[in-house]
Parts: sequence; C-alpha cells; structure tokens
Amino acid sequence: MKHLQLPKSLKVRIGLAGLGMFILLTIIGPWIAPYDPNYTGFAQNASPSWNHLLGTTIQGQDVLSQLLIGCRSTMVVSFIAGFLATIISIVIGVASGYVGGKADEGLSVLSNVFLAIPGLPLLIVLNSYLPAGQQTNPLVIGSVIALTGWAWGARVLRAQTLSLRDRDFVEAARIIGEKRVRIMFGEIGPNLLPILTSSLLFTILYAVGVYTTLAFLGLTNVSTWNWGTMLYWAQSNNAGLAGEWWWVGPPGIMIALIGTSLALINFGIDEFINPRLRAGGVSAKLRRASGAPRRPRLGLTPVLHKSTEAGSR
Amino acid sequence: MTDKTILEVQNFDVDYGYGDAAVRAVSDVSFTLGASKVLGVAGESGSGKSPLVYGLTRLLREPGVIVGGEVKFHLDGEGEFDILSASEEEIRKIRWSHISIVLQSALSALNPLRRIGREFDEVLRVHDANLSKEQRRERSEELLALVGLRPDRLRRFPHELSGGQRQRIMIAMALALRPELVIMDEPTTALDVVTQREIVSELAELRRQLGFAMIFITHDLSLLVELADDIMVMYAGQIVERAPAKELHDAPRHPYTLGLMNSFPPLHGERTELEGIPGSPPDLKALPTGCPFSPRCAFAMDKCRQERPPLVLEAGTEHSVACWLHDSSYQGAVPVELSKRLAKNSGGAQ
Amino acid sequence: MSQVETGKTLLEAKALSRHFIVKGDGGFFSKRKSIAAVEGADVALRAGKILAVVGESGSGKSVLARLLSRIVSPTSGELVLNGETVDLKTQRDLAYASQVQLVLQDPFAAMNPVRRVGHSLERPLSIHGVPEDEISARAHEILESVSLTPPQQFLDRYPHELSGGQLQRINIARALAVKPKVLLADEPISMLDVSVRLGILNLLRSLCDDKNLAIMYITHDIASARYIADEVVVMYAGQIVERSNDTSLINSPQHPYTQLLIASVPDPTNLGAEVVKAPSGGAAAFNLNGCRFSPRCSQALAMCATNEPPMVEVAPGQHAKCWLHASDAQRASVTISNKSKNEMESKNV
Repeated sequence: MKHLQLPKSLKVRIGLAGLGMFILLTIIGPWIAPYDPNYTGFAQNASPSWNHLLGTTIQGQDVLSQLLIGCRSTMVVSFIAGFLATIISIVIGVASGYVGGKADEGLSVLSNVFLAIPGLPLLIVLNSYLPAGQQTNPLVIGSVIALTGWAWGARVLRAQTLSLRDRDFVEAARIIGEKRVRIMFGEIGPNLLPILTSSLLFTILYAVGVYTTLAFLGLTNVSTWNWGTMLYWAQSNNAGLAGEWWWVGPPGIMIALIGTSLALINFGIDEFINPRLRAGGVSAKLRRASGAPRRPRLGLTPVLHKSTEAGSR
Repeated sequence: MTDKTILEVQNFDVDYGYGDAAVRAVSDVSFTLGASKVLGVAGESGSGKSPLVYGLTRLLREPGVIVGGEVKFHLDGEGEFDILSASEEEIRKIRWSHISIVLQSALSALNPLRRIGREFDEVLRVHDANLSKEQRRERSEELLALVGLRPDRLRRFPHELSGGQRQRIMIAMALALRPELVIMDEPTTALDVVTQREIVSELAELRRQLGFAMIFITHDLSLLVELADDIMVMYAGQIVERAPAKELHDAPRHPYTLGLMNSFPPLHGERTELEGIPGSPPDLKALPTGCPFSPRCAFAMDKCRQERPPLVLEAGTEHSVACWLHDSSYQGAVPVELSKRLAKNSGGAQ
Repeated sequence: MSQVETGKTLLEAKALSRHFIVKGDGGFFSKRKSIAAVEGADVALRAGKILAVVGESGSGKSVLARLLSRIVSPTSGELVLNGETVDLKTQRDLAYASQVQLVLQDPFAAMNPVRRVGHSLERPLSIHGVPEDEISARAHEILESVSLTPPQQFLDRYPHELSGGQLQRINIARALAVKPKVLLADEPISMLDVSVRLGILNLLRSLCDDKNLAIMYITHDIASARYIADEVVVMYAGQIVERSNDTSLINSPQHPYTQLLIASVPDPTNLGAEVVKAPSGGAAAFNLNGCRFSPRCSQALAMCATNEPPMVEVAPGQHAKCWLHASDAQRASVTISNKSKNEMESKNV
C-alpha cells in the first residue's frame, strides 16, 4: 500500500498503541523480567513493594516476572491460532461462496458442524490426545485452537463473498478472461479485507480466552508460564480468598487490556482499508462548533445562519 | 387559478458538511413559484437541484445544512409560512397536506413488507383522525382511480407491481391530502419511455383537475420543454438561466443551456455530429474562480474567469440569465447561437 | 494487425434463445414456468458497423449481449464467429474473450473499488499474453486512444476519484486492451450525465471507424441509437420485432410497438402532438401464444392473439414481425390451420 496513513480516530490510535505495547512485551518480556519466574526463594505472599512490583506468590515467586514471561507464551499461541483459523476460514468461506453448487453445500455442512460442536470440550479432548512432548509446542496448541475457531469466520466470509460475486466488477473480470482463483483472491479478496481483519482480531481474542481457560483448568503443561497458568496456581492456592489481589488481578487485567485494544482497532479498520472512506466523514467536532444539533433529525434539516447563533428548534 | 405566488425563495444557501470542511451545494438561489404552475429544474451531477429542493422542504439529510436565505410558502388557510424558522410541529402540519413529494425510486420509498392499502391507510389516518376505516378505504380507492389503477391493487405488495404502477401509487399518495404543491424528484427516470409518456400525460390531466403546482426535477431537458411552464437550469449549485419553457428551448441564452440542449441527439432531421459539452461536471470542492462553467465554455472571456456573473432578469421578459455575455457591461456582439429571438430550426438542437 | 474488410460479418447469432425456469406466481406450490428471456434472435455484427439494439427493460436486450459474449449460455441456437460455428457445449475460453468483449452499464460498479485503475487495466493485458515489460506502455497507449491524458494520472487513481464519463472511457479501454474484433456495449451511457454522453458515443463511433470493429450498441434511448447506428433492431419481450439495414425504421416505423416507442419520446420540436395512449402493460401482459405485443396493440387483428406473426419485409432492407404487414396468402394459411385446429378440438370434446 503506497499511501499508508495513521488512522484519524482516537479510539483506533489507542487500540494500536495498546496492541503495540503487547507486541513489545512479547518480544522483550523475558529480558526485562527482573527475576526468574520459577525461583521460589523470595518472601512468600508479599504484597507489592519496590523489589517486587506485583508482589510474590505463596511459593515466593515474583509475580511480575511470571506476568512478563507469560505474555510471550499467551500472545504467540493466540496469534498463531488467530492467523491459522483465519486462513482456514478464508479458504473455505471464499471458495464455497464463489464456487457454489455441490462444493458449497459440502463446505457449508462442514462449517456448520464445527460451529455447532462446543469449542472448549472439543479442545480438551483434542488436547488430551496430544503426545506429552508436543503439549508445550505453541504451533501445535495454536493449530488445535484454530481447529475450533475457524467456522464462524468461514460463514461470514461466505456470506460476503456471495454478495460480492454478483457485482459488476466481478462479471467484468470474468469477461476479460480472468481465471476463477485469481478472481476469488485478487478481486473479491481485497474487498473482504475489512471483514477479514475484524474476524482476525476477534479470533485472536477468542484464542486468548480459550488458551487461558485451558491453562486455568490445568490442562496444558503447568510448568510453562502463561497468564492462565498463573491463574491456575493462584486458584489452587486460594489466592482470591486470601485477598492476594496482586496475584489474581494482573493476569485478568492483561487479558482485558489486550481485548480492549483489539476491539478499539476494529472500530477504525473499515476506514483504514477502504480507500473511499479514507477521505473521512462528517467531523463531530466541526458540527459542534458550527452549532448544529448533535443528531440532526430527519425531516428537520438544520438551519444555521452565519449571522445568528445555533440552529433549529 | 389566480396569479398568486405560493413559494418565495431568497438567497438560499445550502452546504454539505460543517465549518472548514463545508462544500457549498446551493449558492445564492432566488426564485418564485406561482400557484398551479409547473417549474422544471434541470441539471446534472453537482448542479444542486436535489439539495435545493430537499432543502426547501427541510428534508435534506445529514450532512446537509441550510446556511442562508429565506424560504416562504403562501399556503391556503395558513398565510405566510416561513419554513426555516418553523418548529417541527408546524412543519409536520403542513407537510403532505400542503406540500408533498414524490421520490425517484418508488421501490425504496414503499415498505416492501406492507401492502399498498396499508400505506394509504397510514397516510390518511395520521393526517385526519376523524375518518373511519371504511372512509379511509373508500378514499384510497378514489385515489387509485385518480391515477388509473384498479382498487384491487390495494391488496398487493410493492414488488408485485410494475415500475410504472408503483410510481403511480407514489403520485396518488402524494395527492392524498390535496396539496397545493407537489415536488417530483426524477419520477420517470427509472421508467421506460412509453410508461414515462403515460405518466406525464396523466400528470397533466391531474393538474387540470386538481390545480396543484409542481416542481419537477430532472436531467431530461427535452421532457421539461413539454411538461413545464418555466424551466430553471442549474449548474454547480447556481441558477444559470430561467425562462418560460418554450422560450428556453427556442432561444437559450446561457452557453450551458445551449450545450445541454445540443446533448440530446434529435429524433428527426439531419444526422450531424454533435459535440455535447467538453470536460466533466464540476467538482464542488474545487470550483474555479468566477463563473463555474467557464472552464467548459466555448465563449468564455477573461471576465468570466475572474468574476461570477449575477442572475439578471432581462427587462420586459420573464427570462433571466447569469452570463457576462448578456450583461449590460458587455460591449461586443452576442454570439449568434445565444441571441434573442432565433428563427426556429436554426442552430440549437434541431 | 491486418484490418478486416468493412462490412464483413464477424459475429452472427442464429435463432438464439435463452429460457429461464421460474416459479409461477401462485405461491409455494405453483408450477414452474419457462420464461423466454430471448427467443429466436438473429443478429449479425459487421466490421466497421454499429448495430443498435433498442428495447426497454425486460425486452431481453441485455441477455442478448451476454449470450453473444458467452457469459451466459443459450438454451438453443447457434453462434458463428469469423465464419466458424462456436462449440457452445464447452466453456467460454480465452480465445473467445480476446475476440468478443463487453462493456457494462454502470461505470462505477464495473471497476473493483479497492484496486487502482492501473490494476484493472493491466490485468487483461497480462492475461492475454502481453510481455511483462510492455504492459505499462500498452496501458498508456490504450488510455490515450480513449482520450484520457496524461495516462499515468488515471492509472494511479481509485475509481471513486474519477467521474462517470472518465470511468466509462476506462471501461471501454479495458475492453479494447485485448484487441477484440467485436465490442458489445450494454447501455454504456444511461448512467452518465447528459453532457458527457455524446462524448462517449462519438468515441464509440470513431473507434468503430478507426479499428473496423463490429459494435453492438444496446440502449433504451432510440434517439442515441439513431445518432451512431448503421443498423437498428428493436426488441420486445425477448423477440426482435423490427429491424432495418439503416436507420429508416426510426423515420418510418412499421411495427406498432416501434411506432408507440417513437411517439412516446419527448420531442420538443413537436409540442402538442397527439398523445398516443396504449393500455398499461407491465411484465405480466405478455401474450405468449400469439404476438407478444397484441394485448397492448391498438391495431391488433383477431389472429394476433393466437398466432405468432412471421418476420415480413415491409420496405427494402426493413422487416417487421407483424400480421398487419403479412401477405394475404400468409394470413390465409393461418386462418385455415386455425379453423382445422378448432374443428379437431370440438371433435374431441
């Protein structure tokens, strides 16, 4: 994309900043973590202090270090899961939408089956079949999570493809002799970017939630650090009951923050990707300044006289 | 029908957007409309004909804003009605009962989930709570008969009817409360030529019967010459010419009007190569200084590019033009194509 | 590239028909009906000539264009390209696409809104084998041939940044990129501003003359047909009802539908003329047994409702599908066969 501009909306900028911070932590987390998260030599159950910004666990481990190291694992697995799921949903959704006929019917049945099967139980089952060594491999866990998360995106993309398929520019591409696959991914594809990106963002969020839940239930390897594992240990030691908020709180807050960032980015995605919308809509600020009502009513076009003050009654 | 004026518009301005981002869609428009007269408003993209007419009735959508001027209606039983300073309640009272509107696409104006009869029932019920259901149905059937449709059409859904029938229903609904002014926004553009002819002649008949005034917006100038009493040609939000229909057709004064008329290839007579108008419709965000038509005008002078010509009424006639060529300050000879009293069948669109 | 000689028939359709199966309008359980969107169409497109196909919506003119471009396949009939019958059982291939191209009505919808114009223009070049390093130069060349200069400025833009007229020129350029012999234009100017329409029509005319293309110009506006066409064909309800080798049918229409069409066009030079009134039609009023126009025809004969009229020569080079112009012998043979049909039916009762 030749002309990349920063989106104008404040919401999106905050979201991007948030995401950026998490990506940064993923990369440098282990370096800036002050201590080894496994080291159990510190004072136990200490509340936050200068030495331990987030206090320590009941076993005397530093919470902050666990959080920072855990960030990497959670983020990597979630992003892998999100991207894989999105790729699967593109291939299945766009193909079934464009090709139609029997292929569409078959793929739709497949999507519906995966959509209907409850994700978490399926994951638990799949996970239990993984060889012990593979359970810590982020790629493997990511794939397993992706397998349960692609169906919704596929349905959405199929619906969108169906509606785009009948547009004139697709017919024009067929007329000049463009091949089917190139039409799907070269012509229809770019028009799907907004919905695709939205789907990707939410699938990543879904993966964060699911992975954390799996870990919280103790179903993943409890010796790799991620936010869910922290919650697992906190829960099994009744940290909540004991009022150790510095142990229970932070993982949950991190998840909430990453979720919020992704959601905020989603607001501005349309504008960023669709060149037509980049010109910007009506600025609420300018409208307020000119004195027009905040929500002009239909059938009551505002009247602003340059000489007088605010608009219609 | 008296010589009463029912609409007076003075220095009307409409913007799209606010503050610095605002684009002037209608610029300093002034005109009057007499009772029972038909005013045709002709123009292309960016001409301002739609924001003008929707703005007049306060029906313009976001981000349209009215930023200047006066609009006064003179309605039966209401006296002078200043729509720009009226309250929502007051506007609602006169809407549909005195001023109604027929939109371009009936398919999008009618609720696809409702039968036609229900739409009529709704309109009549909202405006006159005294009518009984039976009376409303009778009235609906009367209205359908007015536009030549059988009463059984009341039971149909919009998609079950043809385009022409739907448009007739829109017209019938617009006339439901016997308004004095009906605004038509390109009502026949989406219809085929034969249906258009039928509807236009039906409208003429209805006007004879009911005597309402009409503002008819269209890009089809040749249709207006038949249909309208007066024609107003708009370009880039401004009126560039206004004259009685026949006069506009026989002797256009503004180069844009001339170009527009020459853009309709004739159905009879000699087959010659025509030019249309070079260039593209104006970009309202970036209008040139001076006359907005100057970049495309074959007769443009230096003055045209510097100063915008005012709309000037020629003494002793009903013909106004906004063009430096016809201004008293212009000393040279007016080009033959734009001169007064052209003999028929020379120049123009023949 | 060698020029084809003017007047040579490049693409011909013989008795082309396209039927669609639709549900009847009796609700969920109604029987399926077969609707003929196009029936028995014979058209010939000649090099250096423009054939205008005039009709309203529902007349089948757009389906005819899609049949000729092979985007839609016919249910019966033949297509002959360059003298060779086209194998309609196989899919449309690249070779056909390089010979026959189609320009669509809505210039904005016909371009991918999220890709730059350059992409949409370079794809056909690339697909049809233009070497990578020549593509850019060819794209510039094509834009210049449709009077869009400087070309690079247009290539860099997105469709929504251009006007309708400019975009339609680009659509025409895209169709011409593959150097076709036949260009089908489906209502290319109806969605454009009035003042730019003539520019596009003049462009089509000059392209036809310069490159000896065969152009089929589809429109509902008979005046524009008269302006650029060499030959005219009028369609109603899927059938060709009148045709002429020049534009004479516009000056002296013989088929009642053509007469109605021409009388309905707003004619400022002829104000106050007698308004022709025809009973209100609507799509449901096609008569599928006899002449399809008969329910709306003020001059209909008895046989029009039951027997489909033949295509009859009404003037040198002009034909109309109408019983009014059929010879006495033709009408007589029908009356005889009708009578015998009635007799047989009454015997079976």
